[in-house]
Amino acid sequence: MSSEFLLEVNNISKWNYGLAGAKQLILDDICFKIKNNSNSGNIVSILAQNSLSKTTLLKIISSIEKPSQGNIILFGKEYNKPTGDIAYIPEEPSSFPWMSVKQNIQYAYELKNDITNNQKIINELISSVGLDGYENHFPHDKSLGFRFRISFARALAVSPKIILFENPFGNLHGETKSEIISLVNNLTDKLNLTILYTTSNINEAISVSNKIVLMSSHPGKIINEFEIDKKQNLDLNSDYYNSIKLLIEKSYK
Amino acid sequence: MRMKKNAVKNFHKLLFLYFILWILLFEFILPVNNILPKPSVVLLSFSALWNDYKLPLNFISTVFAIYFSMALAYFTVWLLRVYLIKSNHVISDFIFSLHWFGEFVPWIIIGIFLIYWLPSSEYVKYIFIFSTSFFSIITHLKKEMKNIKNEYIDSAVSLGANEKNIAKKIIWKGSQPKIFDHLRILNFQLWSLIIVFEYISNRNGLGIIYKHALEYKDLSALFTLLIITGISVYIGSKLILYLKNKFYHWSFV
Repeated sequence: MSSEFLLEVNNISKWNYGLAGAKQLILDDICFKIKNNSNSGNIVSILAQNSLSKTTLLKIISSIEKPSQGNIILFGKEYNKPTGDIAYIPEEPSSFPWMSVKQNIQYAYELKNDITNNQKIINELISSVGLDGYENHFPHDKSLGFRFRISFARALAVSPKIILFENPFGNLHGETKSEIISLVNNLTDKLNLTILYTTSNINEAISVSNKIVLMSSHPGKIINEFEIDKKQNLDLNSDYYNSIKLLIEKSYK
Repeated sequence: MRMKKNAVKNFHKLLFLYFILWILLFEFILPVNNILPKPSVVLLSFSALWNDYKLPLNFISTVFAIYFSMALAYFTVWLLRVYLIKSNHVISDFIFSLHWFGEFVPWIIIGIFLIYWLPSSEYVKYIFIFSTSFFSIITHLKKEMKNIKNEYIDSAVSLGANEKNIAKKIIWKGSQPKIFDHLRILNFQLWSLIIVFEYISNRNGLGIIYKHALEYKDLSALFTLLIITGISVYIGSKLILYLKNKFYHWSFV
């Protein structure tokens, strides 16, 4: 548990096979590490244009999919079976429509074999994602933002070491997008969470993340990594912001 | 939703119009014929059906055989759901190997074989309806399993859900609205099958009344039976829809 790194992605490659048996390289020797910051929250983004390679990478990290090569190390130990330590939230919010808000969260507790059914803890989680008063509502006819909040709370219920979000803000707009970003930021700081998420939006990556891992398309390959100093002025017109943006754009070329 | 309500309203209006037309044409304008009976004779035939054809006993026998066997088949699928949904399980492989017959051999032929094998059994009707329902439901479950969103399964797997949990809490639950839609179609199919089955097996039920009414060339009894069968199928279908709306309300957006 005293590992310097929370997560180590070591030489991950992935090939898919087409109908005619043609080998297609999706991920090419992906390597990056996320430091173990036990005293503060940490948001790392994977910035790339190709959605297939980003999704595949997240599924491999959460051990839903097996890599063709390489391994995932979590707290110094190989992570090759999904146990709930790395929670994955897909792009399409995955709150179960047949369960109410409360039942969705209770489901995660049941997976942890935590059958104490502590209503107080469940209610606190519901409250932490801003769904007070909606405990018995069903998500099927609710907005993307609402469903994202449920998926987030459900992931938090298993106390994961790291949460993976697949393009969480990409389909959100306007006020909802700002609300969800601020919710993720606040809970990350408050609960010392580590979040790894994928995006194709440079501005969003700079303003939300502490670290950006830049990945190329076809196949997905790590091009560069940038640490973002959150103490700097991150306004869209600030020098610091523009210098990072320029570096990212140069790396792409 | 409004369009659906209007369609139902129009359907009821049309039904009422046909009813009035039938009374006007066959009671007052047209002479007695072999196409449709006079409404007044149909009214009189009801008492003959009740006493001579033993309608109550035969009606209950048919209705009970359909709904008891269908409910039992659904309950059996529910009991076996984990094995049926799990891939590469010996039970599911065996059952699915049998369902192949149901796809290519019309069910009524299997019914004829059952009559041959069990000529004096009181339960043969129940066995026939149960097996028809059971294989029909599992065939549909097999189809619907593939339509469950991968996002639900992936996120549950990442939280630590095992195959049994996924089968029970995700795939089975998520496929229920479509299974209930299928039960409504099955309701109609079972009514057709059981009437033919009772007709050829000479067993208690509406089928035997149809047989006797045909032998006696009793057009008014046949017409009254048609109305009774139609109303029963309609009520059965509405009951299944009511259960779907009550338990799977989340499937309506």
